[in-house]
Amino acid sequence: MLSNSVLDLITGFLSFIFTLMILSYLIGDNPLFRVAIYIFVGVSAGYAASVAWQHVLWPKLFQPLIFGTMQQRLLLVVPLLLGFLLLAKLSPRSARLGNPAMAFLVGTGAAVAIGGAVFGTIFPQTLASINLFDTGAGGSLVERLFEGSIFLIGTVSTLVYFQFSARATPAGPQRSRLVNGVALVGKLFIAVTFGVLFAGAYAAAMTALIERMFSLWAFLTSFF
Amino acid sequence: MKGLISTSVAIMAGLIVLVGYFFQIPILSDIRNLILDWAVTLAAIMVFIGVLNLLSINNSRIQTKQKGGFYSLILVISLLITLILGLLFKPGHPVMNFIFYSVQLPVERSLMALLAVTLLLASIHLLRRQPNLFSVIFLVTTLLILLGTAPLPFGVLPFFSDILRPFVAQVLAAAGARGILLGIALATLTTGLRVLFGVDRPYGGQ
Repeated sequence: MLSNSVLDLITGFLSFIFTLMILSYLIGDNPLFRVAIYIFVGVSAGYAASVAWQHVLWPKLFQPLIFGTMQQRLLLVVPLLLGFLLLAKLSPRSARLGNPAMAFLVGTGAAVAIGGAVFGTIFPQTLASINLFDTGAGGSLVERLFEGSIFLIGTVSTLVYFQFSARATPAGPQRSRLVNGVALVGKLFIAVTFGVLFAGAYAAAMTALIERMFSLWAFLTSFF
Repeated sequence: MKGLISTSVAIMAGLIVLVGYFFQIPILSDIRNLILDWAVTLAAIMVFIGVLNLLSINNSRIQTKQKGGFYSLILVISLLITLILGLLFKPGHPVMNFIFYSVQLPVERSLMALLAVTLLLASIHLLRRQPNLFSVIFLVTTLLILLGTAPLPFGVLPFFSDILRPFVAQVLAAAGARGILLGIALATLTTGLRVLFGVDRPYGGQ
């Protein structure tokens, strides 16, 4: 077996090479960048498949099928059958056979998404908006009302911006002037929101760039 | 009557899971958990099918000696090595950790680092191509947040860091984000209900 220091050296060397290969994209698309990306895609796909096997398929499907009780085996007939049907999706000729399995996944996914949207976003966000006007909470009343009003205007106008229903007029479908005005305010709030998100993404990317530069420097200086 | 089985399966599975959210009945909870377990298993099988598809596409590119076949060969080799090692050793094993820290981590971080340059170029392009009020607001907000957050050589900017940045990020942007989040949630709710009512059948039902 390799000692830890040799293993660390190989890891550091590979990390150094891959970083250079990826950063070479700054001078344009080139074979080194592509090789690194294709290796990355291959390794990621292999890693994802192995995680799916080790954490789901073996403990939840194959292990109970081989070593489980009769009841456990009977319950696993359904996913096994649906799994075989999913395999039919690999060929365009037999793809239709996989539709019931896809339907099962889509139906379950839709229900989970609805539950998540209602209990994870709509209720908590609406409650948080209401609580902004809770005069019993800390802080000065004027400050809370001011912040609460801006939140209310921002939230409602942003929602109105995404409202695309329009009345039919001789000049084509048009939104009312009021809706257009509120949507314009919403657009301003969206621009500010995306600006903040962009700043966050840029700061994260900058941190990664500094970290990579530091790692390149650290690897090079480790030999001296 | 084409697609009747698929539609029935989608509606039945979806309704059982959805009803389980609203009513805490023990037997219903058990069935709901069983369906969710099956869905997780099927999702894992889908991952394998995706990997098989990736392998077959790249394999055909190698066989037919298409342009870029060399890259496909690299992909297939790296995928098979990782998959075989991943099946032999669990994720978290030193061998898998070695692959993760030598390939995945540096490549992901380097791609993130590339973003610093591409985002900067994108913001310059934005001003060139769409020089309007909203682009200006977008970029001014970005600059303001960066100035208020970044550790500058001469220390923090008094007005930016303690008044302007918190107001913009925690009030103006949070209000917009709440509207966007509620919009996404309402759209998810509508789309989900359309699937459960059988109006939309993205699984191939007619």
